[in-house]
Amino acid sequence: MFDAHPDLTEAVVHGLGWLYVILFVMNAWWTVVAYRRGTHTRVRLFGLLEDGQEVPTAGFWALYSALLLMVAIAHFQVTGSYAAENFLIRMPEWLKVWIDAVIADPVAYFTLSVVGFAAVILLREWLVRPTVAWVLLNVALVFMALSMTDFDFRQIVGKPDNVPIVAMLFILGFFTWLYFRRAVENDRRIAEGRPLFEQEDNEKVLVWPDLVYTELICMVVLSVVLVAWGIVLQAPLEEPASAVKTPNPSKAPWYFLGLQEMLVYYDPWLAGVVFPSLILVGLMAIPYIDFNKKGNGYYTFKERAFAVSVFMFGFLPLWVAMIILGTFLRGPNWNIFGIYEYWDVHKLEVLNNVNLSEWFWLTLMQTQQPQSILVRELPGIIAVLAYLIILPPLLAGTVFRRFFHRMGFIRYMVFVNLALLMAALPIKMVLRWAFNLKYIVAIPEWFFNI
Amino acid sequence: MGKKSTKDILAQLRAEAAAKKGEPAPQQESAAGAAAGGGPAEKPAVPKKPAAAGGSTKDILAAARAQAAGGGAPAAKPAAAAKPAAKPAAGAKAAAAKPAGERPSVQEMLRAAREGRPLQPAEPPREAAAFRKPVSPAAAKKARPEKTAAPLTRRQALIETITSPFVMAWVAFATATAAFLLATLRFLIPNILVEPPSRFKIGIPSDYPPDMVSTKWTPEFGVWVVNTVYEGQRQIFALISVCTHLGCTPNWLDGEQKFKCPCHGSGFYITGINFEGPAPRPLERAAIALAPDGTLEVDKSQKFQQEMGQWENPSSYVPVV
Repeated sequence: MFDAHPDLTEAVVHGLGWLYVILFVMNAWWTVVAYRRGTHTRVRLFGLLEDGQEVPTAGFWALYSALLLMVAIAHFQVTGSYAAENFLIRMPEWLKVWIDAVIADPVAYFTLSVVGFAAVILLREWLVRPTVAWVLLNVALVFMALSMTDFDFRQIVGKPDNVPIVAMLFILGFFTWLYFRRAVENDRRIAEGRPLFEQEDNEKVLVWPDLVYTELICMVVLSVVLVAWGIVLQAPLEEPASAVKTPNPSKAPWYFLGLQEMLVYYDPWLAGVVFPSLILVGLMAIPYIDFNKKGNGYYTFKERAFAVSVFMFGFLPLWVAMIILGTFLRGPNWNIFGIYEYWDVHKLEVLNNVNLSEWFWLTLMQTQQPQSILVRELPGIIAVLAYLIILPPLLAGTVFRRFFHRMGFIRYMVFVNLALLMAALPIKMVLRWAFNLKYIVAIPEWFFNI
Repeated sequence: MGKKSTKDILAQLRAEAAAKKGEPAPQQESAAGAAAGGGPAEKPAVPKKPAAAGGSTKDILAAARAQAAGGGAPAAKPAAAAKPAAKPAAGAKAAAAKPAGERPSVQEMLRAAREGRPLQPAEPPREAAAFRKPVSPAAAKKARPEKTAAPLTRRQALIETITSPFVMAWVAFATATAAFLLATLRFLIPNILVEPPSRFKIGIPSDYPPDMVSTKWTPEFGVWVVNTVYEGQRQIFALISVCTHLGCTPNWLDGEQKFKCPCHGSGFYITGINFEGPAPRPLERAAIALAPDGTLEVDKSQKFQQEMGQWENPSSYVPVV
């Protein structure tokens, strides 16, 4: 393997030391919180302590905090490049190889994102506990800190373009968690017949001074953050633009990386025009499609399980995960690289994509492709039409039977077509990865490919 | 009395009407009393609106103006304070104050209002000419003395119309806009074109050894010159360096023997045939020919697409013997 991990410099190690100091302070605070709460855990030590013994939970947090402080001190002890390069606290090599292998494989990456999404929904009651959330935050931060010891990870995460995206991932995680916390709380209240959180805790405050002061503080803090950001992270200016030279890799702004990823699987007119328009129109159509009157003005998951799940599926695995893929994993020649992998321009990914028509006529039927374009593409055209015409009534009679009755014909058709087109993206992605399928209908002569 | 607001006028009218006519309905009487005393405390006495009340606000205004013309209204201000109490009674008052059938016309009302205003001295009613279409000052001056005489001839009317400030301003505006648009359009046709010519010479065929891709002309002209075997024939051809997916410039990777696009990962063989990524069709060829002086000449204005069967065209390649 190309040795692209030349240095762990003193500056980096000291910087990480400060990160561990912050982690220590956070956990020291958490220890105090746990101590005040006074919860206890029964420790059995694998049967050594027979019955077990009640231990204050705060004790564990105190231990953990002390460990973090020691790790931070160890970082500050490092002086000189030799000591830095041989520094022991770093991501283990075997773990890096393993993570790279999983993440750089699109099938594994996408599966992981879908499984993670499903896990968040299924395990929501457990996830919304403050302790669980705090542990997850710690895991994420320690993972970041350890990964920072890797040169290639620093290159991609430390790029001025990407720093805010990393911050945004944490913010996204927090708000998703907050939603589920409120929703689970309300679901519990509804099940017990108690009033909703929003009804019980609806003490009104004044616009002036309560709201205006909050806004003022937010304004000041945000201005400070923006100014600091502008000073610390330099704008990533590149070479002068040239029509005959495209930077490698050539990336869209981060918020369009989901679309750019979509363009890998679909023709420009579909992925660049039709699907983005459909996303916008579909989002606008939601209030007209939705017949569920519940969940209005309060958080809930159980009362809107379908709507929330579908929206979150579109947002988390299909949009955010694609942005992460585009930002951190796509490298030169638009190949997928692991987060600890060197961006080798010559990385070879064997992809010999075939169109459905080629596979059908040449492989399956063992004949020449027909001359007539429409006959040649007949299998693909039939598949697409079947997907869009046969599936809606089929679903109306089976999975979406209740929906069809509640919505009526037109609303149901709008809804089911939007859902099918949304599902078209992951379907095509999986087909590309699993069968190297390029286009289902491929008529380059007419600039029409699906 | 200077300016008189509508509110004042209304209130005054109501007060006067209430005082003058000690008419029916006890409720109205109490309302009137409240108005006279200026006490706003008589809220509970507020009566239902009499069914007969038909006077609109317009009527009230008209009547008020007519009265204001006659005498001042020192009582207006206190009466205004009594307004809430007096309101329901007003309808009946107004209806009573003015016998049905002889409502003043709008002109009458206007005139009355004007005369009532001391700030505006009563001026003789303007001639109908004042309401005519605006004409240029010069024309108006000329026209005024003989105004009452013969009507305008058609030619005069035309000239007056054309020379009116209204028309001239719009014509000037339209002219400026049109000039601006034309100037913008002019920018689409530059005086000099800095683009490279579409026909250019690229040297003799032996400059391009077998199975090599020359990137020499890519920065300047956007073509790769390829010498390879295509469909059993060794040929030199010029591939246009634009990806057929979304128009980025792919890179020639010598080690992998392929063109690879950095935008969405489309890959093309040395022949230009697409094989990986989303590019739906092969790269396009430019016309190439052997010039009489023995050098190769590329013409980018002519393109050949493989999927249209145009690579069979002898202009799309130069055979190597």
